[in-house]
Amino acid sequence: MDCSLARTLVRRYCAGEENWVDSRTIYVGHKEPPPGAEAYILQRHPDNRIVSSKYTFWNFIPKNLFEQFRRIANFYFLIIFLVQLIIDTPTSPVTSGLPLFFVITVTAIKQGYEDWLRHKADNAMNQCPVHFIQHGKLVRKQSRKLRVGDIVMVKEDETFPCDLIFLSSSRGDGTCHVTTASLDGESSHKTHYAVQDTKGFHTEEDIDGLHATIECEQPQPDLYKFVGRINVYNDRNDPVVRPLGSENLLLRGATLKNTEKIFGVAIYTGMETKMALNYQSKSQKRSAVEKSMNVFLIVYLCILISKALINTVLKYVWQSEPFRDEPWYNQKTESERQRNLVEYIFTDKTGTLTENNMEFKECCIEGHVYVPHAICNGQVLPGASGIDMIDSSPGTSAREREELFFRALCLCHTIQVKDDDDVDGPRKSPDSGKSCTYISSSPDEVALVEGIQRLGFTYLRLKDNYMEILNRENDMERFELLEILSFDSVRRRMSVIVKSATGEIYLFCKGADSSIFPRVIEGKVDQIRARVERNAVEGLRTLCVAYKRLNPEEYEGICMLLQAAKVALQDREKKLAEAYEQIEKDLVLLGATAVEDRLQEKAADTIEALQKAGIKVWVLTGDKMETAAATCYACKLFRRNTQLLELTTKKIEEQSLHDVLFELSKTVLRHSGSLTRDNFSGLSADMQDYGLIIDGAALSLIMKPREDGSCGNYRELFLEICRNCSAVLCCRMAPLQKAQIVKLIKLSKEHPITLAIGDGANDVSMILEAHVGIGVIGKEGRQAARNSDYAVPKFKHLKKMLLVHGHFYYIRISELVQYFFYKNVCFIFPQFLYQFFCGFSQQTLYDTAYLTLYNISFTSLPILLYSLMEQHVSIDTLRRDPSLYRDIAKNALLRWRVFIYWTFLGVFDALVFFFGAYFMFENTTVTSNGQIFGNWTFGTLVFTVMVFTVTLKLALDTHYWTWINHFVIWGSLLFYIVFSLLWGGIIWPFLNYQRMYYVFIQMLSSGPAWLVIILLITVSLLPDVLKKVLCRQLWPSATERVQSTCMCGHDHLPELTLLACPQSPSPWAMFQARTQNR
Amino acid sequence: MTWSAAARGAHQPDNTAFTQQRLPAWQPLLSASIALPLFFCAGLAFIGLGLGLFYSSNGIKELEYDYTGTAGPGGCSACALADRGRAPPPPCSCAWHFSLPELFPGPVYLYYELTNFYQNNRRYSVSRDDAQLSGLPSALRHPANECAPYQRRASGLPIAPCGAIANSLFNDSFSLWHQRRAGGPYVEVPLDRTGIAWWTDCHVKFRNPPPVNGSLALAFHGTAPPPNWPRPVYALSPDPNNTGFVNQDFVVWMRTAALPTFRKLYARIRQGNYSAGLPRGSYAVNIAYNYPVRAFGGRKLVVLSNISWMGGKNPFLGIAYLAVGSLCILVGFVMLVVYIRYQDQNDEDEDEE
Repeated sequence: MDCSLARTLVRRYCAGEENWVDSRTIYVGHKEPPPGAEAYILQRHPDNRIVSSKYTFWNFIPKNLFEQFRRIANFYFLIIFLVQLIIDTPTSPVTSGLPLFFVITVTAIKQGYEDWLRHKADNAMNQCPVHFIQHGKLVRKQSRKLRVGDIVMVKEDETFPCDLIFLSSSRGDGTCHVTTASLDGESSHKTHYAVQDTKGFHTEEDIDGLHATIECEQPQPDLYKFVGRINVYNDRNDPVVRPLGSENLLLRGATLKNTEKIFGVAIYTGMETKMALNYQSKSQKRSAVEKSMNVFLIVYLCILISKALINTVLKYVWQSEPFRDEPWYNQKTESERQRNLVEYIFTDKTGTLTENNMEFKECCIEGHVYVPHAICNGQVLPGASGIDMIDSSPGTSAREREELFFRALCLCHTIQVKDDDDVDGPRKSPDSGKSCTYISSSPDEVALVEGIQRLGFTYLRLKDNYMEILNRENDMERFELLEILSFDSVRRRMSVIVKSATGEIYLFCKGADSSIFPRVIEGKVDQIRARVERNAVEGLRTLCVAYKRLNPEEYEGICMLLQAAKVALQDREKKLAEAYEQIEKDLVLLGATAVEDRLQEKAADTIEALQKAGIKVWVLTGDKMETAAATCYACKLFRRNTQLLELTTKKIEEQSLHDVLFELSKTVLRHSGSLTRDNFSGLSADMQDYGLIIDGAALSLIMKPREDGSCGNYRELFLEICRNCSAVLCCRMAPLQKAQIVKLIKLSKEHPITLAIGDGANDVSMILEAHVGIGVIGKEGRQAARNSDYAVPKFKHLKKMLLVHGHFYYIRISELVQYFFYKNVCFIFPQFLYQFFCGFSQQTLYDTAYLTLYNISFTSLPILLYSLMEQHVSIDTLRRDPSLYRDIAKNALLRWRVFIYWTFLGVFDALVFFFGAYFMFENTTVTSNGQIFGNWTFGTLVFTVMVFTVTLKLALDTHYWTWINHFVIWGSLLFYIVFSLLWGGIIWPFLNYQRMYYVFIQMLSSGPAWLVIILLITVSLLPDVLKKVLCRQLWPSATERVQSTCMCGHDHLPELTLLACPQSPSPWAMFQARTQNR
Repeated sequence: MTWSAAARGAHQPDNTAFTQQRLPAWQPLLSASIALPLFFCAGLAFIGLGLGLFYSSNGIKELEYDYTGTAGPGGCSACALADRGRAPPPPCSCAWHFSLPELFPGPVYLYYELTNFYQNNRRYSVSRDDAQLSGLPSALRHPANECAPYQRRASGLPIAPCGAIANSLFNDSFSLWHQRRAGGPYVEVPLDRTGIAWWTDCHVKFRNPPPVNGSLALAFHGTAPPPNWPRPVYALSPDPNNTGFVNQDFVVWMRTAALPTFRKLYARIRQGNYSAGLPRGSYAVNIAYNYPVRAFGGRKLVVLSNISWMGGKNPFLGIAYLAVGSLCILVGFVMLVVYIRYQDQNDEDEDEE
């Protein structure tokens, strides 16, 4: 990230100095331009080698080690190890070196293997043959030898070896089809267009004769943006300049389909291709657990350092003779895991809450409503609700308008028709006798065209720039497609300019009502507006259609305007937008369409569960307010008793933003007292909850910094309002605004964990911004899923993911973290205490083998299995009772109180172990034969008690005993005993000391040792048992209540009452009534 | 949809009970109804055990005498005074007189106790060579570096046994005398000097180097005794099975103590008339005072103790068991009260809900 930032800065700096750095010039086929042409400075470009591997054979060891030791834990142990190597230490360097090198080696082997695979893939990629044109001949070369400016030939089903400018294709119309499945997951065929002036060069010789230069921008990672310019030199004439856009660019990684072969010229190669630029790593997201853990680790390091200091000082006080300074030994293991406790969920509406499975519901032409589902065999039947139908308004002008409307819908889109002659899928249009499937990036368009098909007009195909449609009489009509003013989310509309067979030129425009109505000068605006609003209330997606008739002069003007904007190298987007703005005006309104987008199954259930779990759900959508609000009611984000607060442009126009905000916050805060103290059932009926609706314009007003410097003020106020609302709906959001909202919440003073879920490209920024980004694999391609941390097929999976798995993982990870600290406190603190009794001489209490194996094997597996298996309540219970999630909200199990409890428990246990053994050994003999034990028996006694206590403590915490848990917990204890018997039972020839010889066995032969072990284990576990029982009895959490209920056999929790309650007929009507009353 | 078709095959985890987290499980719950009987049972068991331990510990007799302490009739304070002055104290002998009004039941063990002696100091306790002590001839001539500065003599001869522990071997000696009747002669009580070290230590871990020509002394030829030792290691005891590295006094000393105040076993009294214990009468322990302790503020004690199945006198275990047992009972009662009171309340809560 830093790197790219730096690069941008550098580039910006250079751009200020010399403009040419911003673009590159390519000589097609390495031919110098004619001498008269402008001279360019040649730039160096990398070759076409792709390097995705991180290491080479030579730098693997140093680079990998460097990477690994950048992690604090590893580095800490390395330092400890080095210190132990250099000076005289109480423990051998092996003790800390062995685990460290084990970890390092395993990681290195894993990374090395992965990198080897990457090398193999790179080599395969770099060596695959590519066809070049050299001196009019076809030459095969390895892909990595490709250079910028080479002319490349690609055959069908081959992958493009680098980013190419499409010069010509074997198809007559100069098009080719590609799929970009490996780039963005969209498997639909996309059409690309060859440069107009070169599409005639079909053979190698022809293409070799091409004399042209290309100017284009420097490589950038956006897959869908490209601006460039080609100068074609024809026989000493002035060069012909043509614009190049992303439709002329064939990206590396895409595959050529349905086209025999194409010629293209390489412009970006190797690591500069858009694909390679897109594989750069994203910034790492850190979880709340990790953050708390790092703080705890620092606390422990401080404790450790202070312990070491105390010991060192005491040592020098105690001893007059100077000794070398030796570090105090410690061993802690750090673990990492990504887990989050979500407090805010930001969800997209279309495709996430809803199916994105559009169905054409009705259209309204000049106030007359047509309902396609009531159509049989091309005949329109009256709808049930007594709506005006075709026959009731038979005026010729109306008829003409109606047909124009249908034609408009048939023509104004960017749908591709996939000929399905060879596909035996369901036949989409049985009437036409020929099956075809519509493919589009927008499901609305498909729904519209299919709906219109049922109304009698069928879109057949785009052929040679002519759009062919079949009208009611089954006659084919052909329209020449002149221009497409493509859709974008800012304009929220698109247009086509077509020329009919009779030579008339039309501009058809289709878009959101808010973007069409202001541009309309004619038509029954009021009637249509009323209908559109009615439809929106019902949750339908509405689009308005308008047209304009153009005379040839006007068309010429438009062409000029567009051409000028398209050729521009800089700010092309902006110039195009300006041109569109100029063209799409003075329209005649034709009508409106309504498309239904069904709610996903169980979306309402999921939202309700999430809200009960105490998670705030925000819906961020680009839809209009009414549609979005209706969806929110349908999915129970808003309830009947939710009081809606509006913060919309309309309201702000009436009052100032300041007044509106203060008024809202007053309303909200009046009840905030009751909201903060809510009970377990969460949003109970008698409580007033608030829903906030805000639109994009109002949001940008709030976010905009004030001139008078009170910029933070509105934001704070807004956040305060939001915090007290149970649900927030943000409509009319631009993609960047979505991210802005997420960022606003993320950086608010509680630093809540945010989750964003969405399916479309417009959600990517929000997904990347949130702590947890979830992509729904939907119809709008896989861009969102590609950028997400997790991808799910349906919104409803979020419930199980958060409430069940999220809950489990949080319980597990927090236990893991706390338990690790606890068991190491138990381990190290007796060692610390022992220093007071051995003259601060750094004598180890435990044998080296015990020191090494404590964390590696004696106490590692039970906690590992716990963190894999633990289910403190059953999956079904968690799913049934979402409010259980509140028990773990706000990082409850890793807060300071819990941390201090665990630490004190550890210290207490350590005191018990040590002083228990101390009083046991003080001044007496504990065997029946009068013989005496030494210091290693003392340490082994402490260690034995410790291993048992620490393992049994985990057993006490385990609620879910599978056979694996039994095996691992009792197995660990058994392993400890067997290991100790073996370790002490043999004179180990490779050791230079035999201090553990028979120590363990001698200890077990003593009765009082057994008694003291039992006593100390009991005493150590007593406080924890007591705490558990008392807490459960006195202050049971919801989870514990549920556990008890399950135990008592009342396993029949009442089904969620709210689920069972009948859906209100029209909550939106109530909302409307309420807003009108206000 | 293509996703479901394509991804199911490749990315779906195996549908096993383990990966789906559906393994059958026992789900115990630590509730008051389980904990209460547990606490009461544990409490009662601990109290019972504690009483037993307490009485058996009280039944053990122990006599101890600090022969570096205040002036007494045996003249040991004089020896202690001499010890304070010079580093190797002059040979000095003294006695501890005591009388037993009744039988001191056997078996009786004679211990010596040192205070403020840090045998667990790290640099002290690593200063040994287990390979040498196991009788390896090569290690005999080449002691490990850990032994430094007691690795080699100034003359270059390797020290056997090397190291600081061996060098500081406790060399006071005790003998016990019994006077049956007042004014009668003192009879020496036989002290069994074997069986005081772990069997595995003096039979496996510690071994003499193989004798050369049947002579242990020759096996140690070319080595020097530690600087503080008056005689070489093979002359520690006249008993050929108890000399050299396997000398039991030496082996006992080499097992370093855990704490700065420690006892070590000197002898067992179990022979002849004394197998049942020490009969009543007057006794004297004659002490050869050789070992310097006053320089570091240490003290030396001689202890006579008998032993039960649970070892020597140790009231800690009994008291601790009694305390924990009572605590369990107490906590059990507290919990019972809480349980009864809050159970009602919880029921009411549930009724309200």
